[in-house]
Amino acid sequence: MSAPRAAGAASRAGRALLALWLVLPLVPLLLWAFADRWAFPAVLPQEWGTRGAEEALAAGAGGAFLRSTLLGAVVAALATPLGAMAGRALASRQVPAGTAVLAVLLAPLALPPFAVALGLDVLLLRLRVPAALGVVLLLVVVAVPYTTLTMRAAYAAHDRGFEDVARTLGAGRWRTVRSVQLPLVAPALAGAAFLAFLVGWSDYIVTVLVGGGRLTTLPLLVAAAAAATGSEAQVAVLSLTAILPPVALLVVVGSLGRRGRRA
Amino acid sequence: MHGRGVAPALTGFSLEVPAGSCVAILGPSGSGKSTVLRLTAGLDAPTAGSVHLDGADLAGVLPERRGMAMVFQRPLLFPHLSVRDNVAFADRVRGVPRRAARRRAEEYLGLVQLDGFGDRPARALSGGQEQRVALARALAAEPRVLLLDEPFSALDVRLREEMHELLADLRARLEPTILLVTHDHAEADALADSAAVLDGGRLLQAGPLRDLYARPASLAVSRLLGGRTEVAGTVVAGVHHSPLGALALPRAFPDGAAVLVLRHEAVQVTPPADPAADAVGTVVRVRRRGLRGLVTVEITADGGSATVDAELGPGQDVGTGRTVGLRLPAEDRWVVPVDDASDGPSAGGPRA
Repeated sequence: MSAPRAAGAASRAGRALLALWLVLPLVPLLLWAFADRWAFPAVLPQEWGTRGAEEALAAGAGGAFLRSTLLGAVVAALATPLGAMAGRALASRQVPAGTAVLAVLLAPLALPPFAVALGLDVLLLRLRVPAALGVVLLLVVVAVPYTTLTMRAAYAAHDRGFEDVARTLGAGRWRTVRSVQLPLVAPALAGAAFLAFLVGWSDYIVTVLVGGGRLTTLPLLVAAAAAATGSEAQVAVLSLTAILPPVALLVVVGSLGRRGRRA
Repeated sequence: MHGRGVAPALTGFSLEVPAGSCVAILGPSGSGKSTVLRLTAGLDAPTAGSVHLDGADLAGVLPERRGMAMVFQRPLLFPHLSVRDNVAFADRVRGVPRRAARRRAEEYLGLVQLDGFGDRPARALSGGQEQRVALARALAAEPRVLLLDEPFSALDVRLREEMHELLADLRARLEPTILLVTHDHAEADALADSAAVLDGGRLLQAGPLRDLYARPASLAVSRLLGGRTEVAGTVVAGVHHSPLGALALPRAFPDGAAVLVLRHEAVQVTPPADPAADAVGTVVRVRRRGLRGLVTVEITADGGSATVDAELGPGQDVGTGRTVGLRLPAEDRWVVPVDDASDGPSAGGPRA
């Protein structure tokens, strides 16, 4: 009786510590975001206000937020179906030398992103690919390994018998994909799309190098503000703006996954 | 349906399923019997041979256009749909409006005695209920042929018998054409009008179950149908000579080496002094089967020894080591060719 209870208590304590570990860095950010003046020896800000938010807006946080959202969404929209197709093929062992294919797919993760971005930038410039398109293309390449791995695991656990049943019940190929296959892998799809969104949302190197500074996203704005002095409040506001949407998305995706498992 | 032949899972296999009948494909695992169903459903394409439905060749016809619903060993209920929407799936795919499809689904749920289960999620059912829903879902598609791939073998004995009764009931009401795959001869006997015995991808024998039980074409068929007694000997002029003695056969068989097979249900155990006993031997093993026992009797004669299995009558009891007489009714004697190719009834590839 007491052993499971002790294990439960330990598990709860572990989870609480983990939550603390994740939340703690946000506390100074929150304080800074609403601190109009916070000189060194004071434990809390001396003056509260919204100057940080005003400065961030003036620096173009609104536009950057939209551009980041759009970039993340486009990367997710492209990398998720690609990853789903690759993952299904790899999971079904239809691909000859599947492990080698997977290794090639994972390669962008192993190489230093700076080197890859710099090298490909030259290539994209020579091919006269527009900067924004180049950024999207490269980020999709970075995101595809994540989506492929996620979807490969999902399809490995997926039972094709469901699709056989649907076919004999009169559902065509596409109807089977739409009505049976996609609903069954929906939680994994949401997870893969989330990862791909994060790649686009949080990228700095590719956006700077390939975008040539013309595509101002949130991470670029954060970095620029952080490089300047005396703008801690603005940096804090921008950082929070960059952190909160993914957290909100994660909650949505997580609840979707839980519902998928329970249903 | 006829004229099917696929190497290596199936060779020289041909089977007709008359409309409104239930034909069982009986075979051990790896005999290629599931392959027959997958080919019939169009889920796999044959390398050679064909499937015909009402005289039309189905080659190249997509599975969804064949009008064949399949029930697998696993229920495979769509987990993201309710029980009702699972049953309504075929109608929804056909474009029936949701409300009409759901109303019809309720009717089919009633047919499998699951009224009121429609709102439940598919995962909130027991194994037997899940398979009932799978059956209702297949029937709701109003298939021209219902394909059943060992649908009840994952259920426990009592549930399986319930499902057999349910299926017999559904046959009487809806008269579907059924092609059933099973490894259990008792299930084939309970459900089907006739059976095709398949082993190693080859058709061994086809016909009504009574014929298969009484007159198996080979040792393999006899074993697959649960035959236990095999006595090697020689046929000379319609009489089988073996350690059991000279036993007259009910009809002519070619002279030569042949194995006598006897159904244990037909053999009667009598006192050793019984004048009508065909053989006398010693009980070497007794197996309990409810009120009836199954005994193995060893008969030793000048030529060697043989064992015969016999089912005891209800309440009849014989201990190990006792000497008993055996009546081997003449009309139940049957001989099959000596089979040197296979030692056991199971041989073949990895496919079930």
